[in-house]
Amino acid sequence: MAVDLNILIGGAAGQGVHAITLPLAKALMRHGGQVHFIQAYESRIRGGHLYNVVRLADRPLASSREGVDLLIALNAETVARHRPELSSQGLVIYDTSEVQELPPGLAGLGLSPGDLLPGVKAGDIAVNAGACGAVLGLLRVPLKPLLELLKETFAAKGAEVVGWNLTAATRGYELAAAREFAVSLAGMTPPPSPRLLISGHEAVALGALAAGVQFVSGYPMTPWTGVLNALGQRARQYGVVVEQAEDEIAAINLALGASFAGLRALTGTSGGGFCLMTEALGLAAMTETPLVIVMASRPGPSTGLPTRTAQGDLGFVLNAGQDDFPRAVLAPGTPAQGFALTAKAFNLADRYQLPVFLLTDQALADSTFTHSREDFPKAVSMDRALATGPGKGTYERYALTPNGISPRRLPGMGPELVVADSDEHTPDGHLTEDLAVRVLMHEKRLRKLQGLVQELGGLTTAGPPDAPLCLVCWGSSLGPVAEAVARLNESRTPARLVHLSELWPFPREAVKGALQGAKKLVMAEVNATGQMNRLLRQETGLAADHLVLKYDGLPFTPEYILRGLKEEA
Amino acid sequence: MLPLELYQGVEPAWCPGCGNFGMLKAFKQALAELEIKPQQLLVVSGIGQSGKFPHYLQCNTFNGIHGRTLPVATGAKLANPELVVVAAAGDGDCYGEGGNHLLAAWRRNPDITLSVHNNQVYALTKGQASPTTDEGHQTLLQPEGVYTPPLFALALAVAQGCAWVARGFAGDVAHLTRLYKEALTFKGFAMLEVLQPCVTFNRVNTFQWYRQRVYRLEEAPDYRPEDELWAYGKAKEWGERIPLGVIYRRPRPTLEEVHPGLAAGPPLKRFVERPMDQLLADFS
Repeated sequence: MAVDLNILIGGAAGQGVHAITLPLAKALMRHGGQVHFIQAYESRIRGGHLYNVVRLADRPLASSREGVDLLIALNAETVARHRPELSSQGLVIYDTSEVQELPPGLAGLGLSPGDLLPGVKAGDIAVNAGACGAVLGLLRVPLKPLLELLKETFAAKGAEVVGWNLTAATRGYELAAAREFAVSLAGMTPPPSPRLLISGHEAVALGALAAGVQFVSGYPMTPWTGVLNALGQRARQYGVVVEQAEDEIAAINLALGASFAGLRALTGTSGGGFCLMTEALGLAAMTETPLVIVMASRPGPSTGLPTRTAQGDLGFVLNAGQDDFPRAVLAPGTPAQGFALTAKAFNLADRYQLPVFLLTDQALADSTFTHSREDFPKAVSMDRALATGPGKGTYERYALTPNGISPRRLPGMGPELVVADSDEHTPDGHLTEDLAVRVLMHEKRLRKLQGLVQELGGLTTAGPPDAPLCLVCWGSSLGPVAEAVARLNESRTPARLVHLSELWPFPREAVKGALQGAKKLVMAEVNATGQMNRLLRQETGLAADHLVLKYDGLPFTPEYILRGLKEEA
Repeated sequence: MLPLELYQGVEPAWCPGCGNFGMLKAFKQALAELEIKPQQLLVVSGIGQSGKFPHYLQCNTFNGIHGRTLPVATGAKLANPELVVVAAAGDGDCYGEGGNHLLAAWRRNPDITLSVHNNQVYALTKGQASPTTDEGHQTLLQPEGVYTPPLFALALAVAQGCAWVARGFAGDVAHLTRLYKEALTFKGFAMLEVLQPCVTFNRVNTFQWYRQRVYRLEEAPDYRPEDELWAYGKAKEWGERIPLGVIYRRPRPTLEEVHPGLAAGPPLKRFVERPMDQLLADFS
């Protein structure tokens, strides 16, 4: 029987929901399970309600789904909130010191701090670990790998805390192993080669490292911070200058200074932070300084919902800054795409000397996927596209060329002087008010788009290519929409998927080709007005017959997409 | 000493008699005496008449946007510590638009020179008040006079432990040259504010007005630039007497020396390989 189990771990901030999710998910993955988990949290340090949903299957997963089969309730609110989602054979594992009594009709496994850690006053701190052990006990998964992972997780808190957690996990395992449960993983075997459990933003950070990033500057802001932290933790090891900036304006200008001087540079932000960066975005374009910008959007306007998700900044990223200038916008749909597109972003930025965006959101940032090693390349090629060899005469940083790309040299690295200017400038970089030069320079910059568009495509397609029903989506919505399409085909409704991950310059021909013959075009986006649909119409003249939109701060689920299709029918 | 012609840029578009000419002359003289070649030098400027400064020189140039000279200069210095990096900014650029970056630069202490063109007015936009305009000064936008006190940026710099703080005067080129030379060779963040009269839009703080007030600090009998409290007093002295010279000098490790990302050498010269399997090892 196919395995597809949803485990929801809920509690207040500070109760250790996050602390146990990763060890639990990893233990299940190492046992042979395919794991996908999402995080839903509030903008606070203690209290409130947060939960993670770990989905476990015996086939690859790229999406969360609705429903709960195992509810781990570290407090009473978790039971109250998520009880309606519990499936008929669902079970609640709960902390008896927090949840006095389960509502009638619910199957439960109560864990009391006294049972888990006899004689330890602070026993309640390890109920989360006890629950982890209990999950493995129920599913008949060996405990030992989890104990190793818990050791790593709590090592920094000292031997005593590690001991408590191991004891609690073991006791939870024993209590649960005596219980019958509908799903058993006893027959599963570990994968022949180790799999990887990685989140979207971790993969972006790794992609940057693999691409040779040497300079990172940023100001903390959810959900972008994950990339910044992941790079900061590896800065010394890989010789990366990671600098926390005084504000987002400084972050982008620091990165431009470093890039101008020759380093591969990355900055990033979210929502309002990008509002602050837009002036220097134009500076990057005007000075033709390569730059990779991670723009992790969140629901707005203004502060909006800081820890939730949205695809509402597509229009902003495409249009930010004054006047016309070339840029590239990439929007990954999985961690593996996040890795590959980040590496690509650096090469595009260097080749075309312009800003390249990675447009992400909380849904991708905090979604953790099981990937195989083969989902990532063996190595990443670096193309710095710098001019080499001796120059001829006076160096012109902005030499007029047929493809718009001027030979790039670095200051202090040769006899040439490198002069860059935010004013309109002559080919040698000095400011000018010669309006004829202005026209030539403006056209030169825009000419770079012609080459750039040739390098983009990046469509993910699935389903029969001649299916009349075509679902279009972009960025982080890939997983849920792809699963909706798969379910449609399983239920004998032919449907195809077209997912865009390389959004600008718009891959017009590739998209037109993929949409050919579609009788019913559905666009699914996590925003309120269908921003990609507008872009599609602008670029191809085609537009969706139906929009499936969501703007409540939570990501799509396959079920939501399917309901959206039905509502329309 | 290198020939001065080495630094000859295009003809300046400043007003005749502008205080910026004295700065340009002193700066070139300092470069020549220190034998800093144009190729070694990067001047980062912003917007305003000061923003044009590097165009009138021969050097590597990044003429960025208003207020943002310091982060660009800091990024470039971290990338290539062998560059001699100078940020050229006006009082509006540095003390107004880019104030937060100035606070950060004092704390970071990159080994760069900040040269502040202070003419106490927004000249490029035709004479509005700047953060350093004196109270009561009437402008087009403040016809009844400025009603807020000026920013004492040098006093703030001393209070925050900026490693090197000085004031020069564009009307005393020989003295200003010495200050530029010390700033360019000082290891750490050197903040040099230069009184630089605007001959068109500031009819109060003229060359003559300054000449009647300025004096050279280092000639004072109690000169103690290592003494924070003494320096603070001098940094706040303004009005009848205006001190020139190095006000505060207290070296400490530079940003490049303490930054973990540069511990193994500058990334531009030393690239650390990132093998894929090593990168992915944390995730299995």
